[in-house]
Amino acid sequence: MGASIGYLGERLITFVATVVISVTVVFFAPRLVPGDPLGAIFSNLASVGGASGISEELAQDYRERFGLDKSLGEQYLTYLGDLAQGDLGYSIPIYPTRVSTLIWNAVPWTVGLLGVTTLISWVLGSLLGALVGWSGGRSRLLQMLVPFALVLYTTPYFILALLLISLLTSYWPIFPLPGGAYSVGAEPGWTWSFIADVIQHGALPALSIILVSLGWWFLSMRSLIIAEQGQDHILWAEAKGLPQRRIFWAYAFRNALLPQTTGLALSIGNIVGGALITEVIFAYPGLGYLIYNSIRQSDFPVVQGSVLLLVVCTAAANLLLDLANPLIDPRIRAARA
Amino acid sequence: MAAVPAVTDELLPLPVIGERRFVARLLGNQKFVLGMVIFLAIAGVALVGSLGVEPAERRTGAVPARQPPSAAAILGTTSLGQSVAVQWTQAVPNSLQVGLIAATIGTAVGAVIGLVSGYFGGIVDATLRVLIDVFLSVPSLLFLILIASLMRGVSVLGMALIIGIFAWAWPARAVRSQALSLKERPFVQVARLSGMGDTEIIGRELLPHMMAWLGANFLNAFIAAILAESGLSILGLGPQQEMTLGMMIYWALNYSAIFLNLWWWWLTPVVTLMALFLSLYLVHLGLDEVGNPRLRTQA
Repeated sequence: MGASIGYLGERLITFVATVVISVTVVFFAPRLVPGDPLGAIFSNLASVGGASGISEELAQDYRERFGLDKSLGEQYLTYLGDLAQGDLGYSIPIYPTRVSTLIWNAVPWTVGLLGVTTLISWVLGSLLGALVGWSGGRSRLLQMLVPFALVLYTTPYFILALLLISLLTSYWPIFPLPGGAYSVGAEPGWTWSFIADVIQHGALPALSIILVSLGWWFLSMRSLIIAEQGQDHILWAEAKGLPQRRIFWAYAFRNALLPQTTGLALSIGNIVGGALITEVIFAYPGLGYLIYNSIRQSDFPVVQGSVLLLVVCTAAANLLLDLANPLIDPRIRAARA
Repeated sequence: MAAVPAVTDELLPLPVIGERRFVARLLGNQKFVLGMVIFLAIAGVALVGSLGVEPAERRTGAVPARQPPSAAAILGTTSLGQSVAVQWTQAVPNSLQVGLIAATIGTAVGAVIGLVSGYFGGIVDATLRVLIDVFLSVPSLLFLILIASLMRGVSVLGMALIIGIFAWAWPARAVRSQALSLKERPFVQVARLSGMGDTEIIGRELLPHMMAWLGANFLNAFIAAILAESGLSILGLGPQQEMTLGMMIYWALNYSAIFLNLWWWWLTPVVTLMALFLSLYLVHLGLDEVGNPRLRTQA
C-alpha cells in the first residue's frame, strides 16, 4: 500500500486520520464518562454561581446544543457541522462568551512564545551542534558545551522554569514577577513601550523553553555531523581539495539537516506539551494557561476546544514539515517521481 | 555468528539477555551501578520512611506551619502545617508506582502492536502504521489533559492507567521495524517450515531478540510517565486526595511557596525528580554500553 500511494499520499492519510481520530475522541470522550455529561458540570456550576435563572437557560441551551434527545449519529453530524463553521460552543462559567473568543484571545501569546522559542532553539542548537561536531577534539572550549547540553536535555521544562523564576525574579529580581504577558495597566498597541513590556514579560518563559530544547537540538546535530565525517562523499570533497568551509556547509551540514528536520516534526508534540506547562508556571495568558483555568472552573467546552485546536495545529505543522522534506532531500523527490 | 544484522531505525538487535556474563558486566559498569545506587537509595529511604509515619502526622496542622528545615522537621513544613519529609515519603512511592504501571502497560502494548503489525504485514500493518503515526504526531499530553479533566478526581492508579494507554506508540514503531527485518531471516523461515504457528514464532523466535531493547524502552517510558504525572498534576489534574511528586509541586505553587521563599517546600520534589531522572538515565546508558557491542569499545 505504502509504495503505491507514495510519500505525500501517506503523509496526507496520516494527517487526515489524526484529525478524524481526535475530533471523534473529543466528541465521544465526554459521552463515555458514566452519568449525564452535563449533570456534573451544572451541579458544580450551581454550587459555584448560584444564579439559577441563567443556569436553567444555559442547561436548556446545552441540551439542545448537545441534542441529547437525538441519536448519537445525528449528534456527531451536528457537531461536525458546527466545527466546520468554527463554532465551538459557549463557555460555562462566563456564559454568553463563546469558546472561540476565549481561544483566539490566547492563541497569539502561545503562537508567539512557541514560534520564537522553537525557531531560536532549533537554529542555534543545530548550528552550535554542527560546529562542535565538526571541530571534534580540536577545540577544548567547544567540547565543554557537551556536558551542559546533556544536563539541559535531561531537565524537564517545568523544573527549569521553577528554578529560573526563583533565581531571576525572586532572588535577583532582574525580570518581572510571573503573571500576564504585559504590565497591569499597560495599553495594548503597537507602541515601542508596549512591545518592550511584552518582551520583558515573555523573556523568562521563552528562556526556559529555549534552554531545554536547545540541549536536544545541539546533541542530535552534533552526532549527525560526527556520523557525516569520514563518509565517502566527504572524503571525495576533501580529495578534490574543496575548502573546509564549503565541505562543512554544502556536504556535511546540508545532509545532516534532513534528519534534523524530521526530528523537529517528531518532537513538535513534546514542544507543545512543554510550552503549555511552562505557560501555567509563568501564568502566561496563552492556551496552556487557558486550559489550566478552564480545568479549575470545570469549563469543559473550553478544554475540549483548546485541545482540539492544538491537536489539529500540531498535525498540520507535522504535515508542513513532511511536505518540506522533498525540498531539502532530492532523494525523496526522486522517489516520488 | 551469522551475518551482522542491519541497523534499522533506532533499534539494534541486542543479544538475548539471560547469560550470567551479562549480569556480571552490568555490575562492572560504573554508570549502571551509580544510577542503580541513587535510584534504590531514593526508593528505599522513601519506602522505609513511609512505614514509620503515623497517620496523625499526615494531617494538615500536625506541625507548625512554614518552618525551615530543622532537627524537628528535617525538610521543613508547608503553609498548611504538614511536614515536607512526611509528604515526600508518600509522594515518592506513589510517583514510582505511576511510572512502573504506565511503563509496563506502554511497553507491553507497544511490543504486541509492533510485533503484530510487522509480522503479519498487509492491511493490518497499513492500518496499525497509520495509527502509530497518529499517536506519534499528536502531543499525548493533550489527550491526557482531555481524559483526566473528564475523570474528575483520579487516583494514583487511574493516573498510571491513563498515562500507560498513551505510551505505546514509540515502542510499537521500533518493534515493528525490527519485526519486519527479523521475519525474513533464515531462522524464522526454518521455524515456519518446521510447522510453528504464528503466535509461537512471534513469542519464541522474534520476542527474545527484542527483550534488551524493550528493557531500555521500559526505562525511558518510566521517566516519561513520571514526567507526565508531574505535568498533569501541575495543571491541576493530579490525584487531589493523594500525594505524588507532581502534587507536591502543585500545592507548593498553589500556596506561592516560591514567593514566600519557602524553598524547602518546592525544591524537595524538584530535586527528587531531577535525581530520579539522572539515575534512570545513567542506568540506561549503562545498559546500552553493556548490551551494545559498538559502544562497549568506547567505554
